[in-house]
Amino acid sequence: MSQPSPSTDIRRDLVALLPRLRRFALTLTGDASDADLLVRGSANRAIQKSHHWKGEGRLENWLFSIMRTTWSDEARKRKKAEPAGIDVGSATERKKTANAVLAMPDGLSAAFLLTDVEGFTCQEAATILGIQADQLAARLCAARLGLASANAMTSERRA
Amino acid sequence: MSVSQPSPLELRLSAYVDAQAGDGDWHDVEDLLVNDPQARALHDALRRGSEVGRRAFDDMLKEPVPLDLVRSIKNAPLPRRAVRLPQAPRPGFLLKPSGMQTFIACLSLFVLGGAIGYFLGSRPAATGERVTIAAPAQADRDWLDDIIAQYRLYARQTTHLAEIPAERPADILEWLTTNTGISFRIPDLQGSGLAFQGARMFTAGGTPVAQLLYRRIEGDADGDVIAITFTKTRPAGNRSLEEIRNETGIVTWVTPLATYMVIGPSSAADLDDIAAKAAGLI
Repeated sequence: MSQPSPSTDIRRDLVALLPRLRRFALTLTGDASDADLLVRGSANRAIQKSHHWKGEGRLENWLFSIMRTTWSDEARKRKKAEPAGIDVGSATERKKTANAVLAMPDGLSAAFLLTDVEGFTCQEAATILGIQADQLAARLCAARLGLASANAMTSERRA
Repeated sequence: MSVSQPSPLELRLSAYVDAQAGDGDWHDVEDLLVNDPQARALHDALRRGSEVGRRAFDDMLKEPVPLDLVRSIKNAPLPRRAVRLPQAPRPGFLLKPSGMQTFIACLSLFVLGGAIGYFLGSRPAATGERVTIAAPAQADRDWLDDIIAQYRLYARQTTHLAEIPAERPADILEWLTTNTGISFRIPDLQGSGLAFQGARMFTAGGTPVAQLLYRRIEGDADGDVIAITFTKTRPAGNRSLEEIRNETGIVTWVTPLATYMVIGPSSAADLDDIAAKAAGLI
């Protein structure tokens, strides 16, 4: 009786969306183990805040926003924990990865994923990432050009 | 971030790939693509980049999700309210009547019922009268909506966020206390990564409302505006509230003197933490 019905139990939705949440987390962290930690933290946060979700719009929109906020909080904590003099950018710097989409500079792959893959509008994606729409358009453009150039280099090497 | 800013032409062509350019722009871009080989090459590169990226991201969905991650979410405990905000005082009425009180109450009801029956029986014409009971208006929704609308309007302002800037705290205290009738302190929320920007006053539901405005100064949410708002208007049932309305998160708490609210973007998951801190400082 006290068990939530399937439609109101956000845990089921979270599990169903896990591959996509994990993919978005990878664009933020650039590393699989950090991404899993981020997904776990964000999912817990979403479950605790599930009474905020009233079923309006796309659930992913809300979950991605929570994930981005959680990652920002985490970055802030790391920044405080780092000894003075160390560039915090290095803490979130892209880890070396064979995947071209994740090897792009910070912010580009997330912008690309949300617009070109997840199908959010530029405005929605900018809101999720907490940036201006024109900044998102610039990141999206840079990501497309970067991917095209990486693909061209790979093709040349193979030839 | 070490990203070179794309040129205006690249940005236009990228927007064209999204079919987000306006009508006029569209024709311009199409003409450009016909006549300019460099623009054509750039356009092809943008489309190719989009395709390559889409394929790479689609492949990432094929990777297995760690089972312990799935289990940890499936078995996560459902929410429990961890933050206790100050509650409105409730009347400490405890119903424990003694035997004599019960007897007196029963006797009074019997006499009252008899009197009403006698009155109605002696005036049969009065039974035809209709009594109209008006439903109470849902006024609290209106003033809360007003407050959210104000937040949405000013949270987007970059240069006109506050009426009185943070550098004049004495002015802010005097002005808002005088007009709202609520004395307060300006909470220092630097610990939550919030810098005080100043204050505003407006009316909602015909009552003055004071608003203290903060901006996030750290992290990717840098720039998000969080507002602490207070008024003498009471919500229905003096209840605290925590919800999202119109993409805006709101957490309220009620004291004997005022109703307080913390308002921020719906993505701000720490509004209740901020509210709990502000409640102790304001």
